[in-house]
Amino acid sequence: MKPIIKVANISKKFRITPGEAPSVRYDTLRESLVKLVRSPFARFRHNGADDTVWALKDVNFEVVPGEVMGIIGPNGAGKSTLLKVLSRIIEPTTGRVDLYGRVASLLEVGTGFHPDLSGRENVYLNGAILGMKRREISSRFDEIVAFAEVERFIDTAVKHYSSGMYLRLAFAVAAHLDPEILIVDEVLAVGDASFQKKCLGKMDSVTQSGRTVLLVTHSLAMVRQLCRRAILFNEGRVEINGPTEDVLARYERMQSVEPMIRT
Amino acid sequence: MISTIDQPASTAQTATAEPPAASGLSSYDLPEKPLVTIVPHRSWVPLKLRDLWSSRELLYFLMWRDIKVRYKQTVLGATWAVIQPLITMIIFTFFFGKLARMPTEGVPSPIFFYTAVLLWTFFSNGVTNGANSLIGNSNLITKVYFPRLIIPAAAVGAGLLDFAIASVLLVGLIVYYGFSATWSYLMLLPIIVLTTLLSLGVGIWFSALNVKYRDVRYALPFLIQVWFFVSPIIYPSSLVPTEWRWLPALNPLGGIIESFRATLFGRELPWHALAYSAAFTLGMLVYASYAFRRMERSFAELI
Repeated sequence: MKPIIKVANISKKFRITPGEAPSVRYDTLRESLVKLVRSPFARFRHNGADDTVWALKDVNFEVVPGEVMGIIGPNGAGKSTLLKVLSRIIEPTTGRVDLYGRVASLLEVGTGFHPDLSGRENVYLNGAILGMKRREISSRFDEIVAFAEVERFIDTAVKHYSSGMYLRLAFAVAAHLDPEILIVDEVLAVGDASFQKKCLGKMDSVTQSGRTVLLVTHSLAMVRQLCRRAILFNEGRVEINGPTEDVLARYERMQSVEPMIRT
Repeated sequence: MISTIDQPASTAQTATAEPPAASGLSSYDLPEKPLVTIVPHRSWVPLKLRDLWSSRELLYFLMWRDIKVRYKQTVLGATWAVIQPLITMIIFTFFFGKLARMPTEGVPSPIFFYTAVLLWTFFSNGVTNGANSLIGNSNLITKVYFPRLIIPAAAVGAGLLDFAIASVLLVGLIVYYGFSATWSYLMLLPIIVLTTLLSLGVGIWFSALNVKYRDVRYALPFLIQVWFFVSPIIYPSSLVPTEWRWLPALNPLGGIIESFRATLFGRELPWHALAYSAAFTLGMLVYASYAFRRMERSFAELI
């Protein structure tokens, strides 16, 4: 079957400037000019051995339409970086991705929500940011508000909402996206039990509807419930790509062996 | 044997080439070519105007958001858009018009100053807001994809409303001083569009630079100050001695401001200066857009 997502030889290199605080990633003009004058050939001389990190190394996989693919792995394995590359937020260093459907990325709940605007205004704003047309938002507005259970407060400024209301509304907008490919990054890990249950229920119906879903999560239970196939990431590489149970077994083995190796 | 019974079943399966049926998307036909291909770019990146066009609703929403947020919880609301140029005009009229006796080419000082102040406020706010727009929207840049050019464009566009509100006072001044509308008033719209495009070009360029070199945030207010004095706002271009006129003539805003005044006061337009401004603006916009696109790929990492 023809894939809807084709990832080929994707690698991503990040440059880290040695000797400086990690937060200082940008140059002032003066620093750049000084670097240029001092060593104009530094760029060619440097092999980049100690000041770069490869977050993704030669990642290859395919996803067929309608598949729900889980992506799991330890922290720092490169899962979020991969999602950012697929969402076009970061450019890969090498490789190629082909997407045969529209993509909606849910890397964060409530992106673009402004505290001074009302719930109604934020729904429209957030929907537009996530890629919905105004017509779509209007036609789904009532559903979204009902899902979030904030009818009474929909016209109050969002800064007055409780964190639960905020989360529910933000998730409600995202849950009513209608793309062929949905990419979700660990956003379901917050909120109270009833919210989690609601999210899971919605994710379930999304997967049933034939959409292709890429789901990054630390919740192995969620992977087991929603995904038929999974990919295990480790240190920027695809460790294993196959049926969920196999991947989970390998992950558990990896988790139990690692602490021993480190000590 | 029994294989003949199998046959009809397998043909039935191959007839439907799609995964197990569910409602909705199971009938989604994969296009021949990918909708989107993600590859690393080397040097120059195409502008992709079509993508920008299909994101025009988002442009509108971001402008709307900037405007709404600006005046939320304020008492004076949108009148602030008039107060800034109005007070500036009053101060200029007093200090430069009355005290310093700046020549104003036969036009009453208040309207001489207000025409330029109106345009200048729009331009400088557009450039400043545009330049800071990417940094200010870093949460969007790191989490969602949409053509990034929309962000500085929304910042500049949001200033159009302030310009429109402040123009009401200009209309009042024109009526008060007895100027009448002539055919040359048709030039007003192109001049305003030109100012918008110049503001956009400069804003886009600085916004991209600002992500990589944070100096911009501090250098820009100073640059704006200098630009103010090199523009014929508090003085007419004719004040500059002839042998030095080439210097302020390099300023694209000069032609725009003088043309704006000339249109409103029924005078001859400085066509050469205006043509220069138009050419500069177009060049700046194209260059800034390509430079932006080239720097765009590292925004999410540097911001």
